[in-house]
Amino acid sequence: MISLLAASLTSMGQRLDSAYKKEVLSKTDVQVLLSYYTQDNNHSAVTGGTGTENLQVYSSQVYMDHQADSFNTYHIDGGVDIISSASTDNIDFVVSSASKVDARWHGNVGYSRLLRDKQNRVGGNLAYSIESDYTARGGGLSWSKVSDDQSREISAGVQMYFDDLRWGRFEGGKHIKLIYPSELRTQEWFDTYKRNSYNFSFGVFQTINRRMALGIYPGLVYQAGALGTPFHRVYFLDGTKRVESLPESRLKIPIGVQLNSFIGSNWIIRSYYRFYWDDFGITAHTFSIESPVKVTRVLTFTPFMRFYTQTQADFFKPYKLHDISEQFYTSDYDLSRFTSYKAGISVRYAWYRKSSREMEWRYNYYKRSDGLHAHMITAFFNFSSQKKKK
Amino acid sequence: MNKTLLKYSALIITALATLSCESVKPYQRTYLNDYEMKPGQPGARSFEESVMVYREGASGGGSSKASGGCGCN
Repeated sequence: MISLLAASLTSMGQRLDSAYKKEVLSKTDVQVLLSYYTQDNNHSAVTGGTGTENLQVYSSQVYMDHQADSFNTYHIDGGVDIISSASTDNIDFVVSSASKVDARWHGNVGYSRLLRDKQNRVGGNLAYSIESDYTARGGGLSWSKVSDDQSREISAGVQMYFDDLRWGRFEGGKHIKLIYPSELRTQEWFDTYKRNSYNFSFGVFQTINRRMALGIYPGLVYQAGALGTPFHRVYFLDGTKRVESLPESRLKIPIGVQLNSFIGSNWIIRSYYRFYWDDFGITAHTFSIESPVKVTRVLTFTPFMRFYTQTQADFFKPYKLHDISEQFYTSDYDLSRFTSYKAGISVRYAWYRKSSREMEWRYNYYKRSDGLHAHMITAFFNFSSQKKKK
Repeated sequence: MNKTLLKYSALIITALATLSCESVKPYQRTYLNDYEMKPGQPGARSFEESVMVYREGASGGGSSKASGGCGCN
């Protein structure tokens, strides 16, 4: 009898203790990224496919995501890239000399909302960036849906950018206008200074099993307006010199496939393949593989490699090989036929002390078959905190 | 282009067809929820990949950077 009474009292106590009380949490992620990039080669488009491409870029960016409650998430990010370019110094000795050391400022704000069904999420963002040779305004919309059993996520989005290629905003008292190479300013080579880009992206991320997930990312991009760069020179067979000329529209179709697999208890393989086609004549293949190894619970080493190959654009020819009768022409080696590889390693240290914290360092070496080579070092910090909402 | 696109689409579809998906319970998602299994380009990878847009003709397809907004290709 006594034991029955005790059991009854205990079960009452358990009911009271285990009464489910839903708590709303707010979560804030702050991420800081610092990077140094340096490259060199002798194929600058500014000097018609010959001349120095020496370039250094120091980047700093800050991102913040604030999940106010179960439904609303706010995003803001901003940063500055300090660019020291030897080739832009060759545009002339007045305007571009001041921008030999240039700065690119950029910012982005966004909002997303999880709908009542807790499966659909919609969002939007606005972006702005400015540099000596262009200003860009952008905006986008996104949607995603997670399946009932969390095994599949599908997404779609559109991102638009409206670029203005005129210089002058950073040079007080100077007109805002397109800047051509100093010796080619006898005529207006471009009839527009606007470049509009419409990026449509789609995604399906599917769980295959407990250790494997697959992502498929098709896209469609349409660009219109001034797609050439006004300060790129082109030298012709007969000795004539002109400003680069490219068509005023471009259609791009990329499709990427990602397969992530967890092998054993501390080894992951992240593999990625992308096929790309555009109506400039470029067909490209990208293959990358990363192999994170969890050395301890908090420390991960990741060696990675990336291979890339592309055919050349129909309008590309090297220095002094274009014929004067051609309608479109460029000597920009970014549009040439080449293969490239990138190899590097990252070290990630993630731990929890009152909140989640993470540090990551990455280094990579990049080599292109036309001779361009680059080094890049990146440091990434992530701080995450959660609070109970009253 | 159409032939090439069809060829690679067929390859991808065949690869997908050979993979059969199994149902994974929430308590079986330990590996799937790991940071290194995240889709896309998490953390510093995203920034690093965006630099490639300046040096190569191709962009998009799940890599972070879209076309435009950067004075690049």
